[in-house]
Amino acid sequence: MAEDPSVPPARGITRRALFQGAGAAAAARALLGATPAGAEEGPAATPWRTQGPGAVDVALRVNGAERTLRVEPRVTLLEALRLDLDLTGAKPVCDRSQCGACTVWLDGRTVHACSVLAVEAEGREVTTVEGLGQPGRLHPVQRAFVEEDALQCGFCTPGLVMSVAWAVAQHGPGLSEAQVRRACAGNLCRCGTYPHVLKAALKAAGQGG
Amino acid sequence: MKAFRFLRPRTLAEASEALRREPGAVPKAGGVDLLDRWKERVEEPEVVVGLCDVTDGAALRLEEDGALVLGALATLADLAGSDLVRRFLPALARAADQAASPQIRHRATLGGNLAQATRCGYWRLRSFPCLLRGASRCPVREPGGVQETAGIFANDPCASAHPSSVAPVLGALGAEILVGGGPEGGRGLAFEALWRAPEPGRSDVLALEPGELIRAVRIPPSAHPVRVGHAEVRQRAAFDWPLVTAAVGLTLDADRIREARVWLGSVAPTPHRARAAEAALTGRRLAEVRATFDGRAAAEGATPLPGTAYKAGLVAVAARRALADALERS
Ligand SMILES: Cc1cc2nc3c(=O)[nH]c(=O)nc-3n(C[C@H](O)[C@H](O)[C@H](O)COP(=O)(O)OP(=O)(O)OC[C@H]3O[C@@H](n4cnc5c(N)ncnc54)[C@H](O)[C@@H]3O)c2cc1C
Ligand code: FES
Ligand code: FES
Repeated sequence: MAEDPSVPPARGITRRALFQGAGAAAAARALLGATPAGAEEGPAATPWRTQGPGAVDVALRVNGAERTLRVEPRVTLLEALRLDLDLTGAKPVCDRSQCGACTVWLDGRTVHACSVLAVEAEGREVTTVEGLGQPGRLHPVQRAFVEEDALQCGFCTPGLVMSVAWAVAQHGPGLSEAQVRRACAGNLCRCGTYPHVLKAALKAAGQGG
Repeated sequence: MKAFRFLRPRTLAEASEALRREPGAVPKAGGVDLLDRWKERVEEPEVVVGLCDVTDGAALRLEEDGALVLGALATLADLAGSDLVRRFLPALARAADQAASPQIRHRATLGGNLAQATRCGYWRLRSFPCLLRGASRCPVREPGGVQETAGIFANDPCASAHPSSVAPVLGALGAEILVGGGPEGGRGLAFEALWRAPEPGRSDVLALEPGELIRAVRIPPSAHPVRVGHAEVRQRAAFDWPLVTAAVGLTLDADRIREARVWLGSVAPTPHRARAAEAALTGRRLAEVRATFDGRAAAEGATPLPGTAYKAGLVAVAARRALADALERS
């Protein structure tokens, strides 16, 4: 079975090690590019806030918890989740709003995290697949994906789970096949697991997911 | 993506003011289009005016005179889900609902949809030459150019196509655009006046003054019944732009067409008004056009390239289906 994205990867030499480098780079970026303290609010006499171009502090609400991070305005929500918050469920695949592997919820609605800036998520509720459920207390949609074998390589799975869970939250037990198809129209699966995803969605909805 | 300064105004007026004070600054709404452009480094703005904190730009309202005013910051999902839009502008609700994917409709705004750039692959990839980005010629028009999604009207010297599938429906509804946002207030633009014809070396598509934003789209009230229909021809049913969109708006006097508005998408550098099709419909009785309109007038004036010859046929099909949709739905 594919790796469960919600299981923290083993430490040591893992794919995470690759990103530790990126994490260090983010820290360096923060130090080098940071605007001097106080300058974040921009030159005097503008009624609007100014952020960047260097790193700025951003308070995000992710999976119900307050998280503060330091990112440049150009950093996407997907990059911030994965590299700064170590939430690697949402996957970077196309990085162009064209595949859905990075799907998360912003204020309860599905979005492509690769096409949102992290600074824009300030003050909004971000939910990732890790926040939906964890091993031991899986969300009904996650459970139904396992039971219905709705994944092969699993790369698209976190995104599809978020789209299906959104559809279930929208439509409840009456969720129709057509509604599942529409909800998942922005998620591509190159392994072609769609029929099983559909089954899992209807099962989860029937169970009051 | 190159680093930029991010300004966060809280009103449209502030956003316009920020744009005026920072020459070269780019307004950012949902960012569905812009982030791709920045990641590809086709554009590298140093200052971005983010509209994410603007609170007065997303309302959908029915005015006392019966006009509907749709805030430019309303998302496509807002339009598709609004009771007001579904009741009074059902064709618009359907078009918004058919665009892209849920994830995109949750972010993509009405203003950004109208202002979105061409899907032309030469324009979108920095390593290719493009007339709008300073090359001497449009490579789409050259032998061997990739032409399939290019424009078939007004396609010389630039064969780009405006890809919005929402814009044609607004055109068919007789929409006008409210632009401005500064302290001096705004101005109304006729729908077609929102866009500029392509010019060598210029990538921006809107005919706005510095500091101006699209604030809202206004659908004026009509003293006569109006019927609007739309049709898209798509390669994929979802998560993609249509090959061709057509929308037909008919203002009626009993069973006679007083005025017809026919608009096409993905066929020209701007949303395209098919005047010959309008002429073919105006003054006719509904039963007559139902029986005889074959849509070919909508393709009149087309100058397809070898790779886009198929589009003239699709335009006729889409126009015919859009008329049928208008007649069916009342
Ligand atoms: C996979 C995919 C499929 C798609 N399918 C469709 C489809 O079927 N039909 C369709 O119509 N579209 C489709 N789109 C395009 C999408 O709808 C647009 O990219 C989106 O609407 C842009 O809106 P935005 O708010 O994200 O704009 P942004 O990306 O923020 O901005 C786009 C442009 O508009 C300018 N701008 C934004 N707001 C304003 C304003 N208020 N005043 C002046 N200028 C402004 C920006 O400066 C920029 O130049 C698709 C996109 C993707 C990625
Ligand atoms: S990685 Fe965001 S849509 Fe593909
Ligand atoms: S399971 Fe492999 S891409 Fe969907």
